[in-house]
Amino acid sequence: MERTAASTDTERMICVAARQLEDRTTVFVGWGIPQVVALLAERLHAPHLTQIFEFGAIGPQSLTPFVRGTMGGASNVYRSLQWTTMNWAFSYAAAGYLDTGMIGALQVDAYGNVNSTLLGGTYERPGRRFPGSGGGNEVASLCWKTIVVLKHEPRRFVERLDFMTSPGYLTGPGAREAAGLPRGTGPYRVVTSKALFGFDAESKRMVLLGVQRGCAADQVIRGMGFAPLVAEKVETLEPPTAEELAILRQEIDPGRIIIGRPGE
Amino acid sequence: MNVLAAGTSAYHWTPPDAFREWVRAHKSRAAEEKLVSEQEAVARCVADGDYVAYDFSSLTRGPQALVREIIRQRRRHLWICAEFTLHETTLLVGAGCADRIDVGFLGYGDYIGRAVAEGRVRVCEWTNGALAYRMLAGARGIPFMPMRSLVGTDTFLRSGAKVVEDPFGGDPICLVPALHPDVFLVHVHQADVYGNARIFGTTLFALEAAIASKKVIVSTEEIVDPLEFRTDPAKTTIPHFLVSAVVHLPYGAYPGGVPGRYELDLEHVQRLNTLETDGQVQEYLDSFVFGVRSHAEFLERKVGWTRLADVMRRAAIKEGYR
Repeated sequence: MERTAASTDTERMICVAARQLEDRTTVFVGWGIPQVVALLAERLHAPHLTQIFEFGAIGPQSLTPFVRGTMGGASNVYRSLQWTTMNWAFSYAAAGYLDTGMIGALQVDAYGNVNSTLLGGTYERPGRRFPGSGGGNEVASLCWKTIVVLKHEPRRFVERLDFMTSPGYLTGPGAREAAGLPRGTGPYRVVTSKALFGFDAESKRMVLLGVQRGCAADQVIRGMGFAPLVAEKVETLEPPTAEELAILRQEIDPGRIIIGRPGE
Repeated sequence: MNVLAAGTSAYHWTPPDAFREWVRAHKSRAAEEKLVSEQEAVARCVADGDYVAYDFSSLTRGPQALVREIIRQRRRHLWICAEFTLHETTLLVGAGCADRIDVGFLGYGDYIGRAVAEGRVRVCEWTNGALAYRMLAGARGIPFMPMRSLVGTDTFLRSGAKVVEDPFGGDPICLVPALHPDVFLVHVHQADVYGNARIFGTTLFALEAAIASKKVIVSTEEIVDPLEFRTDPAKTTIPHFLVSAVVHLPYGAYPGGVPGRYELDLEHVQRLNTLETDGQVQEYLDSFVFGVRSHAEFLERKVGWTRLADVMRRAAIKEGYR
């Protein structure tokens, strides 16, 4: 029996993110880690979660082990409620049917704006170019609540994004609505391997809500490119339970392709 | 309409009436036999400078055999609609076939990222949703489509979209220009010789793009009797009068998979994903694309029966795909 105390950064991040998803809701699932997060939530506390994939798979009951890479493969879209097209998948989001969306990020700023396009240089000559929006911009624009999942590296939390791919609260209160984005939407949580952030209702700036057991708030914040607000009572995030780890390691990702191995 | 903001990117656009007239003059509505070789389909339908779109992704039901044929025929200055595109942009750019890409999701791998950073290929920023809406506008025969995403971001500023005042409600609303690709490539489960086609499973915008495009090449795993469509018409994805050419290309999505038929070949996909240098890309192209004359020869000499049997065996889930 593996000691459950030894979990990887990625496992801690996935477990905290999965706990944010509520049963009997709809969730727009991005490629990669969000797929694993949604699967874990579905196997545990959210068996009636309806997942939506942007290419038109609605409500799949994805088979495990999770097949990485081919999001549209037969085992990932297994026993869906509906197979349709991208235009209809995004229509569900645009018309207000999607409770939560989950996306990854290269960089995030204090308003929860997300970069997944480039790092460094200029737009014309970027230091490094990445895939760009994909459907991330739609997810962040249209779902009622957006959850951003990224590894806890302080350099990813920046005052100014190298490129704003997908909208958080843009420049602050009222900015989303002024730009034409749907009213009442926006980033809800930012989940990292060390911490959980939310957003202040007034200023729309990021708030530290919780830290992993064993981490101190100031240690988590150190090195971030902006100073997040800190909740009056910072919650302690419990490490993955034996049950969560068993499902992750034995059912979802036995090859440890996404979750990694302790000590790595 | 009062334009409140505008992106700076170039965009491919055809006035709706010009497209209608093109359809009237060039897209035959007659049920006529269109079954040709991949060489002939590409020679006839894909020209230098064309805007090319495809469905679905590199790994799932992508028209990989047709893309390899386009490279073999050394088309130049193609403008690629990159929705869910992974390794084929590496091959198209590496072979000098494409120099402009509309980005929804642009591949992985360092090669294509560096090609963008070094300015060897120009990108126009969109989102997967924006490109799908653009295709939908093209299919509707209207000049643009309003949408709620894209706005407020750098992605918008680097796109060809505009924000206007909604003439009904007064709020800002984003408009994306209709897209009329010169060529749409789609790989399907079944087609008849006229071009009626069936896809089992999800599509990005197969019907929309087939309507919106000037030329449509359907490559198919199976050729079926035309009566198949009339006996189960709810399963028709694309009717024949949208289609320019039909090519019978079993395993046409390889090294990707076709749901219900064969799974992707992970080993071959990994080889593509790890192409980094120009030398590696050229070596791959020389061996797997230029080193063969046809898809059949590619399968015989570069893939082989053992591998094909393996990817077929792994596609054991059939429900929903028949």
